[in-house]
Amino acid sequence: MVFFLQQLVSGISIGSIYALLAVGYALVYSVYNFTNWAFDAFMVTGAFAAFYGISLYHMPFPAAIAFSIVMTVALAMFVETVAYRPLRAHNAPRLFMMISAMGASLAVVNIANLAFGGSFRKFPEITAGAYRLGGVSVGRMDLFAAGFACVVLGLLWLFLERTRFGLGVRASALDTVTAGLMGVNNNQVALIIFGISGVLSAVAGVFFGAKYAVYPYLGTVTIKAMIGSIIGGIGSLPGAVLGSLLLGIMETMISSYISSVYRDLFSFSILVIMLLFFPSGLMGAKRVVKL
Amino acid sequence: MGYLSTICILSCINITAVLGLAVLTGYTGLFSIGHAGFMAIGAYSSAVLFLEFNLPFWLVLPLGGLVAGCSSLIIGYPAFRGLGKLRGDYFAIATLGFSETVRLLLNNTYPHFGGAYGLTGIPPLTTLPVAAGVALLALLGAHNLMTSQHGKNCVAVGQDEVAAQMMGVNLFTTKLKALFISAAYAGVAGALFGFYMTYLSPGNFGIGLSSDLLAAVVFGGMQSLIGPAITAFLLVSIPEFLRFLVEWRLIIYGILFVVVMVYRPQGLLGYRDLDFSRFWRMVHGLQGRG
Repeated sequence: MVFFLQQLVSGISIGSIYALLAVGYALVYSVYNFTNWAFDAFMVTGAFAAFYGISLYHMPFPAAIAFSIVMTVALAMFVETVAYRPLRAHNAPRLFMMISAMGASLAVVNIANLAFGGSFRKFPEITAGAYRLGGVSVGRMDLFAAGFACVVLGLLWLFLERTRFGLGVRASALDTVTAGLMGVNNNQVALIIFGISGVLSAVAGVFFGAKYAVYPYLGTVTIKAMIGSIIGGIGSLPGAVLGSLLLGIMETMISSYISSVYRDLFSFSILVIMLLFFPSGLMGAKRVVKL
Repeated sequence: MGYLSTICILSCINITAVLGLAVLTGYTGLFSIGHAGFMAIGAYSSAVLFLEFNLPFWLVLPLGGLVAGCSSLIIGYPAFRGLGKLRGDYFAIATLGFSETVRLLLNNTYPHFGGAYGLTGIPPLTTLPVAAGVALLALLGAHNLMTSQHGKNCVAVGQDEVAAQMMGVNLFTTKLKALFISAAYAGVAGALFGFYMTYLSPGNFGIGLSSDLLAAVVFGGMQSLIGPAITAFLLVSIPEFLRFLVEWRLIIYGILFVVVMVYRPQGLLGYRDLDFSRFWRMVHGLQGRG
């Protein structure tokens, strides 16, 4: 039982990182109906910015997170302006959007690989140690990551529900063209959304790097986040969180009870099963909870 | 000569795989980021059929393609069922997941497949005439296919799914057929690759290879076979002469993806295709003048 609870804790910890990314996917999807394939590039940028902020410039951890967020948001907005906006402007097919995004991600990830080298780097220790709760140990860093993820998601919710800009984003999510006619600046909304994605992926990148290692191809975990958001029902923010947590927990259970080799096989089978039997996901059917 | 023939053989293998991807992405408008997975399946299945079951080389090539084609239905069937704009995105992510899974399984299956050590002892049976013959057959086959009714259906689906369905095109079977053919092409290319390298390792079939194939299709042009075939050849041969840029290859591809999509989405020879009748007219014209 203790073992099971321990695995549950690890599952929630990795699931909360997936959740940050999955919310980013869901947000971009809910407004523009397309999947942001450049997410892994954002995440890598976030992880490397924080890593070099701490190891080269000896920043304290909060400053490193802030630095990482600034860098990633800048990249996200740059990618939006260069790779997406011209295509959106002339209503390019979705295929072209995907290829353009794939190109942006390929370029950024391989620049990171060339500039910094492909080795795995250990993230500098932030807080060591663990709390013990009746035999179950909860890593201090894991707890901090999960708490930070909750705070970020809470702030995002406040932003979307309580501010003028959030209202604009929600209006665009309902109907981009009509929102544009009603005076919502669609390009501004796009920048806001990509800025938010930048924040989410930077935080996810930092905590993923801190949990495992920092390396140029760490962005491949974004595929898990995408599976998480499909489980939850793509386009639904609460669904994305729920689906990611479920995926994180199930993956950890598979790794510990069966074999870690088959963990990715399992996640992929989940994707196929969801597509076959629950194409709209757990929470995607209700169109009301789109945002 | 050996060096030149290496480039030619690798080009022919690349052309075969790229033609398959052109049918899927260029014509049917389905984005695959995991075509290397189908190549891996073709390569390993043909090598195992040859080594363990002693089937002849000429038979294991198409069998490799067949196995790869059938395996593609695992993702095609769930991903193409139902409608919705995001189906294409689901499919793309499924191809990525599929190729990663294939690599993972091959890496951990030691009996018969060699696991992470790789599969050795494959005889070097892919010679230049074989590779060139297969590439030519692939080009002719794809050309005939794309000028057939099925090809027209593929183009219709690629242009506008709703309109195609209104005109009576069955989206599900059209997409599934295109995927099957595309994966079979990749499988045959993978089989040729295995019998050329004489050694297979799961690491050969990573995301880099998938990006190479995609690059050839994107730069070569949408709805074209000859464009991607030309770029497939160029993308194999140019890096040989620009060795110093080898680390920059994927970066350059990435930037070019964006530039091509923004400034010239039709690619090098987009929406233009092989016209054999024009070719024959040209030949006759030359003969007439001679």
